Amino acid sequence: SSYDHKLNFRKSKEACLSYIQDAMLQKQWKRAAEFLTSYIESLEKDYSREHVGPSEMIWRIGTEILCHHSHSSMKEFNCFIEQMKISGVKRYLKVCLEHVFHLLCNGQVDEAYQNLSLAESWRFGDQTAIQDKEMKLIQAYKGLLDYYSWSKQKNILLEHGLDGFADLSVEQEMHSCFRKAAVNLKEIIKIPGVWDPFVKCYVDLLEFYGDHNEALQVLNEYAYNSRFPANPNAHVYLYQFLKRQGESKKSLISALKILHDIVPSHELMIDFNTMLQKSKKRKKRRLGLEVIFAALDYAGWKENVKAWSCLARQVKQIVISEKHLHWIKEEWSSRKDWWPAFHFSRYLAKRNWQKNKSLSYEKALVAGILLGKDCKYFKYISHQGCKAQVKRFRMLKKFVNRHNPVFLRISD
Amino acid sequence: MEFPAALFPSYFGAGPPREEDGSAPAAGWGEHGQVLQGDPGPGRRKAHPAFVPRRGGTGEIWDPAEAAAVPVLPPSAGCWIPSPAPQDILYRNSLCKKVRACKSGATLDFAKQLGHFFVDHPEDAFGSMGRLLHKNFYLGNSKLTVSVSPVVAVWAHTVPCAAPTSVPSSLQRPARSSTIRMTALMEDIDRLEARRGCHRQHLASRLRWFSHLCRDWLFEVPLGLLADCLHEELMLQWSDLLFDDSLTGGALAWLAPEDVGSHTGLLVHPGGQAMNHLFFQDMVLEELPRARGSPVQFELSGRIRQVAAARVDGEDFVGVRSDYHCGVWRVAGRTGTAPTPLQVIHTDVPATCLTVSPHLPGELAVCTQSGTIYLWNVETRLQQLRSDPQTMFFRDHSPWRWSDFTAHPRVLSCADRTGLQCLDARAPKKCHFDLFKVGEEAGCQQGERVVLPMYLGRAHPSQYLVTTQFSVYVLDERLPLVPMLKWAHMMKAPPVFAHLMPGGPGRSHKVVLGASPTQELLLMQYWGKSWSSGGGSQSACQLAGTPQKLHSIVECLEYLPTQLPHRHHLLQERLGAPAAGLAGTVLEDGTHNSMLVFQLSEAGDVFCQRLTHEAAQAELPQEPCASPQPTPAVPSPAAALRYRRWLRALSRGYMESPQHTWLPSLSQRRLFTRKELEGPMGPSALQRQVRQWLRQVMREGGRIQHWEPVALQSLVLPQPPEPEGGQDPLSTRLTAAWSGDWEQWWEDRSSFNMAQRQRALRERRRRQKRARGRRSLSASFTSSLTYQSELSELSDAGPPLLSPSRPPLPSQEGSSPPRSPPARSPPTSPAPDEALLSSQSLRYRGIPKERRKTLRDYLSVWAEGPPEPPELPGSQASQLCIPS
Repeated sequence: SSYDHKLNFRKSKEACLSYIQDAMLQKQWKRAAEFLTSYIESLEKDYSREHVGPSEMIWRIGTEILCHHSHSSMKEFNCFIEQMKISGVKRYLKVCLEHVFHLLCNGQVDEAYQNLSLAESWRFGDQTAIQDKEMKLIQAYKGLLDYYSWSKQKNILLEHGLDGFADLSVEQEMHSCFRKAAVNLKEIIKIPGVWDPFVKCYVDLLEFYGDHNEALQVLNEYAYNSRFPANPNAHVYLYQFLKRQGESKKSLISALKILHDIVPSHELMIDFNTMLQKSKKRKKRRLGLEVIFAALDYAGWKENVKAWSCLARQVKQIVISEKHLHWIKEEWSSRKDWWPAFHFSRYLAKRNWQKNKSLSYEKALVAGILLGKDCKYFKYISHQGCKAQVKRFRMLKKFVNRHNPVFLRISD
Repeated sequence: MEFPAALFPSYFGAGPPREEDGSAPAAGWGEHGQVLQGDPGPGRRKAHPAFVPRRGGTGEIWDPAEAAAVPVLPPSAGCWIPSPAPQDILYRNSLCKKVRACKSGATLDFAKQLGHFFVDHPEDAFGSMGRLLHKNFYLGNSKLTVSVSPVVAVWAHTVPCAAPTSVPSSLQRPARSSTIRMTALMEDIDRLEARRGCHRQHLASRLRWFSHLCRDWLFEVPLGLLADCLHEELMLQWSDLLFDDSLTGGALAWLAPEDVGSHTGLLVHPGGQAMNHLFFQDMVLEELPRARGSPVQFELSGRIRQVAAARVDGEDFVGVRSDYHCGVWRVAGRTGTAPTPLQVIHTDVPATCLTVSPHLPGELAVCTQSGTIYLWNVETRLQQLRSDPQTMFFRDHSPWRWSDFTAHPRVLSCADRTGLQCLDARAPKKCHFDLFKVGEEAGCQQGERVVLPMYLGRAHPSQYLVTTQFSVYVLDERLPLVPMLKWAHMMKAPPVFAHLMPGGPGRSHKVVLGASPTQELLLMQYWGKSWSSGGGSQSACQLAGTPQKLHSIVECLEYLPTQLPHRHHLLQERLGAPAAGLAGTVLEDGTHNSMLVFQLSEAGDVFCQRLTHEAAQAELPQEPCASPQPTPAVPSPAAALRYRRWLRALSRGYMESPQHTWLPSLSQRRLFTRKELEGPMGPSALQRQVRQWLRQVMREGGRIQHWEPVALQSLVLPQPPEPEGGQDPLSTRLTAAWSGDWEQWWEDRSSFNMAQRQRALRERRRRQKRARGRRSLSASFTSSLTYQSELSELSDAGPPLLSPSRPPLPSQEGSSPPRSPPARSPPTSPAPDEALLSSQSLRYRGIPKERRKTLRDYLSVWAEGPPEPPELPGSQASQLCIPS
């Protein structure tokens, strides 16, 4: 009966698919390709009402095989993809986009651009929400490629400009590239998402043409719109833009303050700390100490010499001036139960001494002040340092011994 | 450490997961995802910007070094009891199959399980009532007369010398008269069993009466309560069969030595019959890893569900989770020092998670099914961080919780099926943020659930791995909710195990995902940092290369020596046991790198496979990777030796264990009546002779046609029964005439003759029938015999009795009872011939209807070993024709 026929057909289809899967997972691309040729038959008798029909499978599997098969060429790949584009209306844009990605990764930027233009002009009835998103992405990538050709022409122009030649046609072309890129890039960055490359390029364009207000607005929107994810890069781009514009310390600090609030472990925290330490205001210096303590809480900063030297410098300053010792005390109180094991164990002392002497110096200074001269870390490092007859370490020992009462005041 | 300067573009939306996008079996293939202008790679400068894909980049090539996984440790002593399979607890019949085909869920076989309980635990089920009643229930076959006079008669008979004054005591009389015969009831129950699964059956009214009468008082435990408990347990077992989350995390750990160059390590694994022994086994890593010395062993009071380990300050901390206990051990970095148990905690509800902090020594995270999360420090004991029986983002019934550490030693992640949150242990109520949500944010599908979260700290301090039944995600806690990487893993079962092998500078990070019931292992690679230069800038996360399937334990079955069918089946069951853990390590030996992946099964077996890195090809990035070296087709001699040794140890274990008696025993009481069994005391001389011949012929493999003359000559016809008295007919007749009833004698005489004739006729017909039946029986017997001898040559580890050099069996003496089961029959034979057992053939052989089932049961048990050649009375030998 036809029911049995369908059932058997489905069964053999599934079996075939599992063979393909098995071959691919073992990187036997030739075997997988052979099975795939049999699987293509399932296209003819596609009775399935499933969401993912065989044509999508064939596209996915075929693409993967052609990417890895030793005898496949770019020409064959393009040929296959063109076939796949016409095999499913719903998937057209997605297949186009993936094709473009493949071309871009293989350095065929011009072909990719052609494909993007073609896909952009594609219309088929009402678009679904997903197709709408895909279309926006296609336009955005086209804008990105426009941006790259713009910057290429800009470079040509700048070089020739220095030589004294001004080519009008190149300049015109550059401006048309700018227009095309700006329109498309502007569109996508309005939608919530992570658009780092697009935002960067768009801001670069705007900056070149002197539209700083628009650029600032775009960056503010990207960083502070609550519908967007809390992307640290958005704040970094804003900070870098402000820095390029020579904005005031205050606005730079406020930009970094927000970055500190969302990502206390960001690498810009070193810059932030140095900026705050230089500040005249007590409150800012206080914040600086907080920032550097918070950064060193994270496992990724454990062996960061810069961060430890920032902390050591600030702690040393405070100890020498003997003002604001309560800052250290407050920061230390929430850390004293776990920092000793996390940063200042005897094992770490040995390892730091072996691997990085200057790291161990900075850490020993901090340990000596925070934990006193009897702390394991400090004792080990100062002992080793004195043994190796390094002057720095003898000074360190003297300093810590002199300021040992500070430790008592912090720890009580 | 640094945050990538630019991330791959992606849309971000909030809300519930998307409805469409079913889990496609090929969803993980053929996509680049997105592209990003990236580092063009070493020595590549082009006019055009170079793009890198999010997926489909180049990965390292790892080739399997062996054809299959190889056992690392000898099989654990004692036999393994497989966990229940679906067919054990599901209701099976045609109707239900149809129902299940319509996908309306499975039907649990509740009645069968309740029945099993009554049969397996009769003492618990009806102990005291049974003792009270057993005098009143009579199970015999003979009629039970309840009238008073026979009782008196019996009384009089049994106490012949009773004094005339003694009167039957009033105690004994009611005991006899209140006895009822339960045989019919038993038969009804048997019949019911035979008609199992038939919905339209009519319950015997007798049974209904009985159950109606005694339902309220017969059972020790109230039936309703018992049924509730059983049903709950069944549901639990079934949900465990569908997805057992107690195994999450895996119970295998590899502790690498501090000194990377020394090819040693410590394997921590559970073992023992109940998986309640913790072993710390020293290993030497050569071509194949091998155990060194005997393991350090701890006996725990529960089945080990999870073994987690982390290294802090050069010491390994090993956390062990069982249902109600969690313990922590410390293993010093130096080899040769014994592990020290540090502390044990007891939980009231089963614990679901135990993770060890990679930051601080002796710190662990524990979760329980009540939704409570604790930070456990060996010195400061437990600190409760959160207690919420509800799930975080939307309602989900699962009580499973998980917790792991993050880049900040005081911030822990906590997970349930709906997502992950990070909370600060210093202020757990106030400070927390969402790290991952099953929803539109991560582009999840409907029905997707978190299966295993894992902190990837050894690869990157702020990265996290989350697996669901459809996809794997790599997250960065600095940009929560947006996955850095998402990939549909296409595994058949959800990955409950994951093991990270971080790659050094310029190398990819390797993650092995493992599923439990299917034993799948999948190796995936990702780039966490720019691979072009050693300390280059951080680039966005990319999936590297294509995923690779690794060998599972059960795949080695085809490389093992050929086994006898039932042993093959046992072995298949053993090797196919669900996976219970996963560990691995990368050995760097100059340019020659290899990866070892260990897999633990629920039976306690640890298997291992080695992969070798093809360094030459890895130096040419962007090149489409050619087909790698094919997997070797046959195991190397060393591996084959391992297999043989492992098998030998396994079969020895089976032989020793009392549960697996290869020689079944069967009571014949129900098959034959006692009278039938009461034959002559020993076999006759003729029978003995025939047996001896038969044996001899069997040894020689010859024919037994030369029996014919002997048999014909010794043809014995049944003797006509002698009339009682032993007198000759004439004297009887005279006696009768003398006593005056000569007529009566004549009557008797003629009817005797007729009965005799009838009996003779019946006897002949019966003999013919039996002979016809026997012919097919003996034919099947010989065929099974040859089959066996073929197999015994093939089998390597077959039982010693089967070896060709076995000494000839001593000829059976009269001491053995005539119909005793063949005690030395080899424990092997193919499945019994269906025709042999069909009721038609049984009827054909003249076996009464009521005994056919019993006989069929009997034969099916004996199908384990071929029945000994039927002892033929000589009269039938002439009709025999046994092919040699």
